[in-house]
Amino acid sequence: MSEDLFRLHHTENGHQGQEDADMRRIDASLRLPTIILFSNAIHWLVVAALLSVVLSVKLVFPGFLGGIGFLSYGRLAPTTRDLMLYGWATQASLAAGIWLMTRLCRRPLGGILLNTLIICATVLWNLAVLLGSLAILAGYSTGVEWLEYPNWASAMLFLSFLLIGIWALLLFDRRASGHPEVAQWYLVAGFCSFPWVYGTANLLLTWRPIQASAQGPIQSWFCGALLTLWLLTVSVAALYALLPRILGSRLHRRDLATLGFWMFLLLGSWSGMDRLIGGPVPAWMTSAGVVSGILFVIPVTIIAINLTGILRRGPNRNGFRPVYRFLTMGLFSLLALGVLEAISSIPCISGTLNLTGFSEAKYQLCILGAVSFPLFGVLYEALPGLIGRDCWCKALTNRHYWLAVAGLWLLFGLMILEGFFTGLALIDPTVTFLNITSYSYPFHLLECVAQLVLLAATVTLGINLTVALAGDYLFPKR
Amino acid sequence: MHRLPTLLSGIFLVFLTSWLGLVAYPALQLGALKPFADADSGTTFPPLLGGNAVAGQNVYASEGCVSCHSQQIRQTSVTHSDIERGWGKRPSVARDYLRNRTAFLGSSRLGQDISNVGVRQPDAKWYFMLLYRPSLVCEGSAMPSYSYLFKVRKIQGQRSNEALDLNASDAPAPDSEVLPSADAKNLVAYLLSLRHDYPLPEAPVKKEAAK
Amino acid sequence: MNNEHHHQPGEQDQENDKPLSPWLIGSFMLALLWGGLYLGFNSGGFRQDVYDSNAVNWAGGGTATAQAPDPKIVGKRLYSQNCLVCHQATGLGVAGQFPPLVGSEWVLSEGAHADNHLVLLLLNGNQGPMHVKGQAYNNAMPQWKQLSDDQIAAILTYIRSDWGNSASAIDSNFVAQIRKGDGSQSDPWTESQLLAVPPVKNSPPAASPAVK
Repeated sequence: MSEDLFRLHHTENGHQGQEDADMRRIDASLRLPTIILFSNAIHWLVVAALLSVVLSVKLVFPGFLGGIGFLSYGRLAPTTRDLMLYGWATQASLAAGIWLMTRLCRRPLGGILLNTLIICATVLWNLAVLLGSLAILAGYSTGVEWLEYPNWASAMLFLSFLLIGIWALLLFDRRASGHPEVAQWYLVAGFCSFPWVYGTANLLLTWRPIQASAQGPIQSWFCGALLTLWLLTVSVAALYALLPRILGSRLHRRDLATLGFWMFLLLGSWSGMDRLIGGPVPAWMTSAGVVSGILFVIPVTIIAINLTGILRRGPNRNGFRPVYRFLTMGLFSLLALGVLEAISSIPCISGTLNLTGFSEAKYQLCILGAVSFPLFGVLYEALPGLIGRDCWCKALTNRHYWLAVAGLWLLFGLMILEGFFTGLALIDPTVTFLNITSYSYPFHLLECVAQLVLLAATVTLGINLTVALAGDYLFPKR
Repeated sequence: MHRLPTLLSGIFLVFLTSWLGLVAYPALQLGALKPFADADSGTTFPPLLGGNAVAGQNVYASEGCVSCHSQQIRQTSVTHSDIERGWGKRPSVARDYLRNRTAFLGSSRLGQDISNVGVRQPDAKWYFMLLYRPSLVCEGSAMPSYSYLFKVRKIQGQRSNEALDLNASDAPAPDSEVLPSADAKNLVAYLLSLRHDYPLPEAPVKKEAAK
Repeated sequence: MNNEHHHQPGEQDQENDKPLSPWLIGSFMLALLWGGLYLGFNSGGFRQDVYDSNAVNWAGGGTATAQAPDPKIVGKRLYSQNCLVCHQATGLGVAGQFPPLVGSEWVLSEGAHADNHLVLLLLNGNQGPMHVKGQAYNNAMPQWKQLSDDQIAAILTYIRSDWGNSASAIDSNFVAQIRKGDGSQSDPWTESQLLAVPPVKNSPPAASPAVK
């Protein structure tokens, strides 16, 4: 099996045995919860990928599965998005976050009781996602974007997150080593932000809705904060924790990382306003969106400086390490996202390209690239340790990687082009809307292909995971 | 930043900035906006929604219309195209959403912006046709059919005046008629109420040049 | 646990890290400065009612973008609510009781009657006999100083332009001026007191009031 990345001692001096035992203890303490969280997350990812294919076909053939309320576009689209956000991304981030935090704090998660609690919370989470999705399809959506789950489902999600996330914070408090790492800051920020963001948004928009004139900015704030403050922080933590260890070197210009962290949080929390540039909000909010969007490139640049500075030297650990590829692709997606965010926040560009496929492209780059790839990386790195053996099939892993990369960039490229052309057409008042629909038709057609590639990627991952777990993981061989 | 409380306080303070600016401020300021009493006409803007339209919002929410349609005419400092395209006379402002339960701003224009659709298309029958089968009134549209919001039944005696005026080729069967369900009627009432064309202090409407 | 201090990958590396490049610091500072300036100049003074970031700079004047409705229409409504009972919808008043406004020299500021007399009449009311178009009227006119400057200006503009009357508009700044000056007294005017006030014309503003 490949050497554990989180070992402090890499030369033979007797401490290795003690460390390995510690690591095994840590693994044993979070084996079941992490595996269950990841498996459920991937299950939802596959479902979401399948539904995405259906949606993209519906855009091209509106009559496909048409006339059925349960499967109409307006109900499937929010279901799919919520599955991606809460079913896949949040759950996988929970798993990755807990795994990283235990490793970085060098503390096991806890005993049987804690494991049971977390598993119960996971069950609650997945029940909420399942029932919430069915409720949306049945016509009980709240209608608020990204918060369509009925109130009881969102309350269940909130509660179960608290039950899982609190332990990550306590682990940090009781960590073994003295100096916290950059990754640990990001994880703490991430675990704090989801309850705060999700709770506030739901309280004001769905549980006890305030007057609708105020809802626009709050909803946009939520979208930005969910992506940057929760999902991206965990992915960035994965990058900071794993990349230097894989490459066997320290961060480049680590002193910048502090500045990068605080700017990431500050600007990320305002980044949601890029959706409302030009929207029905006071002028200062539009300007705040412009400034925070453009300046967001600063923390992204700092992350780039910290991590790409060491990429030139390739991995020098032996063993099969798929995590490296996934992490670098995640990092690259994050950099692209930062640049794209800055460009799209310029008011005249936002005026042309906002509300088109361009915004969707940004979202997909974020969720499929910057968030998902590091999470895949953590999964590939964590599972062998958790179940005690080299479990991944090389061929399937390779296939998953290349399909995911191809699917992401194909989809992203098509959506950018679609957004570009429809945006330019929309600002020309002489082009009728039906004409614009026909311009985007070929892009939608090719996007079906991209979604099929992504479906193939996720199915490959599902098969890979099933094969990996098929061995008796409850009693690892030693 | 070694201890959890220190780190948490720092994080809390940073989060507080956006919370104050993007949550507290809208909730307290924009959330306290009242309808504007117009001196000219003696009515208040935005106008009250009728009972069916209030119920129609729930249909709009549950059918997920916000996935494809936006309801915001953008500010002219960012783009003039929404107004030039005839989607509205003036940019939308926060007060326009006052009477709604949810502000369906939308983030995607796979379909047209519909913030002023009650003014652009005041004919209820057109909406029923659109919902039943979009291609009847909008050839080449990507909008899906909402035929499940309608009931098909045999004509009993006289044709009902709520029935859709379908050609023989489009009708489901020669002696049947298509009637909108309560959901469809509420939704159409809501769509007919959509207008952002009245003047507000923060959003004046330019008088059109005399023809 | 052990004597050697092992560097974690996330830790500071004092030996190898170079000091921050001044270019990097400089560009970050510039970016932050730009951000602040942009926010300062494009936020409409951080006002809640300014939506157009181009319209107003933060020096103030947010309401400059709001355009008032046509004062004649507002004035007509206010007239109906306040003045119609006595002066009638036709503006002809009631013979012997309430003077007409149609062709009235007080309304049209003809002869010895000036714009400010009309404003003062509305602000403080009238007591004692009053001559309009050669007829005497001896009913007290109540004071209307509880109306705002805009409202008084609108009513006066309206009565000076309807029923065949044609005289210049009265603007609210003029009303405000008069209110602070001669209009600050509490007793209603008698006719002679009123005409003793030196005449002041409401010179029309450079641009005509926004008619929307």
